[in-house]
Order: sequence, then C-alpha cells, then structure tokens
Amino acid sequence: MSNTQQKVQDAMEEKVQDLLARKDKLRLGGGQAAIDKQHASGKMTARERLDYFFDAGTFMEFDLFAKHIGTDYGLDKQTLPADGVVTGYGKVNGREVFAYSEDFTVVAGTYGERHGKKICKTVDLARKMGVPVVGMNDSGGARVTEEMGALSEYGQLFFRHVRTSGVIPQIALIMGPVAGGQAYSPALMDFIFMVAKTSYMFIAGPPLVEAVVFKKTTNEELGGPDIHGRISGVSDMTVADDKECLDRTRQLLAYLPPNSSEKPPRLEPTDDPTRVSPELRRIITADPRRSYHAHDVIAQVVDNGEFFEIKKEFAPNLVVGFARLHGYTVGIVANNPPVKAGCLDVDASDKGARFIRFCDAFNVPLINFQDVPGFLIGNEMEAKGIIRHGAKMLFAYAEATVPKITIVLRKAYAGGYLAMCSKDLGADFVFSIPTAEVCLMGPEGAVNILFRKELAAAENPKAVRQQRLQEFFDKYVNPYYSAALQHVDDIIDPQDIRPSIIRALEVCINKQDELPRKKHGNMPL
Amino acid sequence: MAESVTAPMVGKVFQIQCKVGDKVEEEQVIIVLEAMKMEIPVTAPVAGTIKEIKVSEGDTVESDTVLAVIE
Repeated sequence: MSNTQQKVQDAMEEKVQDLLARKDKLRLGGGQAAIDKQHASGKMTARERLDYFFDAGTFMEFDLFAKHIGTDYGLDKQTLPADGVVTGYGKVNGREVFAYSEDFTVVAGTYGERHGKKICKTVDLARKMGVPVVGMNDSGGARVTEEMGALSEYGQLFFRHVRTSGVIPQIALIMGPVAGGQAYSPALMDFIFMVAKTSYMFIAGPPLVEAVVFKKTTNEELGGPDIHGRISGVSDMTVADDKECLDRTRQLLAYLPPNSSEKPPRLEPTDDPTRVSPELRRIITADPRRSYHAHDVIAQVVDNGEFFEIKKEFAPNLVVGFARLHGYTVGIVANNPPVKAGCLDVDASDKGARFIRFCDAFNVPLINFQDVPGFLIGNEMEAKGIIRHGAKMLFAYAEATVPKITIVLRKAYAGGYLAMCSKDLGADFVFSIPTAEVCLMGPEGAVNILFRKELAAAENPKAVRQQRLQEFFDKYVNPYYSAALQHVDDIIDPQDIRPSIIRALEVCINKQDELPRKKHGNMPL
Repeated sequence: MAESVTAPMVGKVFQIQCKVGDKVEEEQVIIVLEAMKMEIPVTAPVAGTIKEIKVSEGDTVESDTVLAVIE
C-alpha cells in the first residue's frame, strides 16, 4: 500500500471512529448519573424500553443527531442528546411498528420544539406506511424555555393524532409523568396503558392546583393509574411495571391489523372450533334475580379462554376486550350482571361505544353478549345525561359495518336490548339460549300497566297478578316469541355458543356493508 | 384503619349477610341490595371485622351510601 492510500484509509478509519464515539455519547442520554436515578425510581431508560419492546436487533433509530432549537436562557450552551426523545421503527412479532420514547434523563424528557418535530415525523411516517405507532411517554411537560416552539409543536402533534385516527392504531404508554397540555396527546390516541406507581397524567400538577384552587393534593391522587383506570376512564389498563407495559402492548398489537385497509392477522387456530362447553349450562343461572360473571362466560367461549380486557376497572358493568375465535380477532362486548345488574349507565355507554368504534375502524368483528335489564334509570342517571351517553351505544353499533353477532343470554329488555346490538341495529346474526327474555318491558312493569284496574278491583290481587304475570311471560317474554318474529335467528343450547358463533363468524368474515356517502356522522358526545 | 362499604348503585337493602363483630374476607358478600329486579351483591373491600352496619333490610339507599364499616 502506498503512503497516500494509507493516509486515505486512516482518514476513513478516523471518521468512522469519530461517528461511533458521537453515537455512543448521544446514546448515553443525560449521562450515567441520570440513568442511575431513572433506574432507582423503578423505571427503564428510553432506550432500554425500545430494546425490550422490539424483536431483538430490529430497532432502527432516526434523528439521533437532531439538535434542540431554543437558544434562550442558556440553551445555546447545553447539549440535549437527541433532544430528549428516541424515535424510530422496529418489528414486533415480525411486524413493523413505529415508536417514540421520551428520555427522562435529558432535561426530564421535556417537550421542546425539536422534540415535538421528531415525534410528529414519527407519526407522519407511521401513517404514510400504514404501520401502528407506539408512544412511550415520560416527560415533565413543555420545555418552558422554548415557549411557543413547544406549544406549537403540541398543536402539531394533536393535529396529526386526529388526522391519523382510524388510519393506524395509535397506542400511548404512560411510563412516567405526562403533565400539562401534553396529556392530550395520549388522549387523542386509541389506547392508554399506565404503569403503577411511576406514572401519572394531569393537565395541571399539584403545585398549580394548590396555588389556583387551594387544594393540597399529590401526583397519585390527582392523576395516578387508579384515578384514570377506575374513575375518569382515561386509562385502558394499569400494569405493574415497564416490562409488563411493553409485554401487554406487544400482545395488543398481535390482535390488530397494521392499518384500517387491512384485516386483523389470523393466527393458526389452537382451539377446537366445534368445542362445546357444558359448563355454560351451569354458569349462566336460570334464576333471573341471580348473577354470574361475564368473564366466566367469555372464558368458556373464546380460543383457549384468552381475553385481553380493556378498561377492566372502569364501568365494570360492561366488559369489553379482544379475544380470538378460531384464530380470528374479535371484539367482545358483554353486560356483566353482578355490577349494577349489568345495566348500561353513563360510563358503561361511553366505554362500550368507544370500543365498538375502534373495532369498526380496524375491521374487528363484534361479538355481543346480552344480559341487560336496560339502561340504568333514576334521577342520578337522567341528570348525568343517560339519554345523551346511552345514545352513543346505539350510534356506535348502528354505524359499525363489521360483522356483528349477538348472543342473548338472559335479559334483553327495551332500550338495553337495542343498545346491545339487536337485529334492528344491524346485527348479522342473533342467537339466544332458552333463558333469554327478549321484550319491550319486563312482565312486572307490563302487568302493572295493562291490568291496573283489574288488580285494584280483584278480591285476591296477588293471585290475579301471578296469573297475569305467567300469561304475559308465556305470551311475550320467552325467546320463542322473538324467534317467531325473526328477531332471533336461532335458539341454541348454551353449551353450543362457541361453535355457533364461530360458524356465523366464518360466513360473515367477508361481509360488505357501506355507510351512505357523507362527510361524517354527528355522534352524540 | 376503618374502611366504608358503600352502595354501588341506588336500590333497596334486600339481605344483610353479616353482623357486627363478624370477621369477613376480602371480596366476601356481606350485604345484598335489590335493584333493577336483581340481587346486587355488595362485597367487603378489605378483610377485617364488621364494626358497624348502618342500614336495615328494606331501607332504600342512594349510590355511595355507607352501608357498613369494616375495621
């Protein structure tokens, strides 16, 4: 080798070494001390999360060299590696997914202008490629030193989430603080998982709350996973730690298509589609005053009893989540009798409608288990707007064009019957079991209205009442009446629920149904 | 610490299945309400001893009414 050649080669070697050194330095984020602190608080770092989340060796980063924009308040002299957020793409069970992961070790993961631009670019790419996006949030909020730069990028991100909604699944993981306006980024996505103990979300933190509305509070009380999982309904799932959060996200993605133009992936079936469940005859009690748990029914019916529940703690009178039937992804919506008699109240209606709309947007067939005495009635519910909220269930089911299969287990009364996807709301198949009571009104209410005079005048009102009740029941409440009128396609043995749904699902799987041309409907909100 | 057991919804007290001094397990049904023509089981939120029962069978209750106190 000549001297010149050697020099050129050395120059390249030097440049490569320089590149590697620069990358190593940037990848260290806020430095070892900050990383140790992150670990001590029970959290993984931004990069550890991405490494754990994606299939080994598949993560590809972009914009590692992106530099913050702000120069005021000494920012011009600071180095903020990757501007506090790691962005890129990788594979999850072999399927492409975009992700951004905020780096709390870099100035508390604050959302500066470039930080925002990086996240927006990630969402844009995900939408263009028709690939899901996952956001790992861990940020102290807006970087105040970048002022309008940060605020504007919030707006840019919100705009993108909205325009992307219904195109690709957008999943937000809350793995630390998400404070201030930034909380609306997860809120505009499809699902929110929150990590116990380390995560919280609020639009204003305890110091501001105390200063402005004079109430002392804590991060946990204000916006911890318990508040959002159980009361506000903001969160879809509380997980124990970062690893469980990422594991559950991988599981969720496995149920979903990459975008709304595709069907969910079908897995190789691992459970017998003709499997009968004699247990169901025992679980579903024939005593209409008694309860059973919707989960026990779902576990008998779906493949291997595996159910991925959404919003488990919020409005538990309605159970929703993903499962598989003969390998096909389905969305399950089930009334849960032990809680509020399985009635649809304000929160349950919001929960159900949102889940139904997600399923419809991403071609996930809906399986509906009905056991509903009706919408919850009374002063409290009317004042809270059960008419406005309950209407969301009707709207969501009627609008949904995916396959819809309904099984009436017991009560299917009045508006509740319609709101759990009856034939009239577009169910493709409705099955009932012999304990089903499909009717406009329960026998007690009906007899009170129809025979008020007769009962008042009767010598033995109790006996007359009993006789009228039985008569009404035999005439209208039993499932053979609704089947005679074609509101129910077939009455089946409870043990045959699984094979019956699977056969119906198979014949529905290429269903074609379209909404009339319009800009968009006006769902009650 | 004392923990209140509250009514999950508006209804009538149908059955009280415990008495003051009883030891109860977490999730054990202690009171049954009646609403929407169904029996609504109310369970102990924590394990402990029933310190107080604040309602009688037949009482009507609003949601969040304290039904009993467990210590």
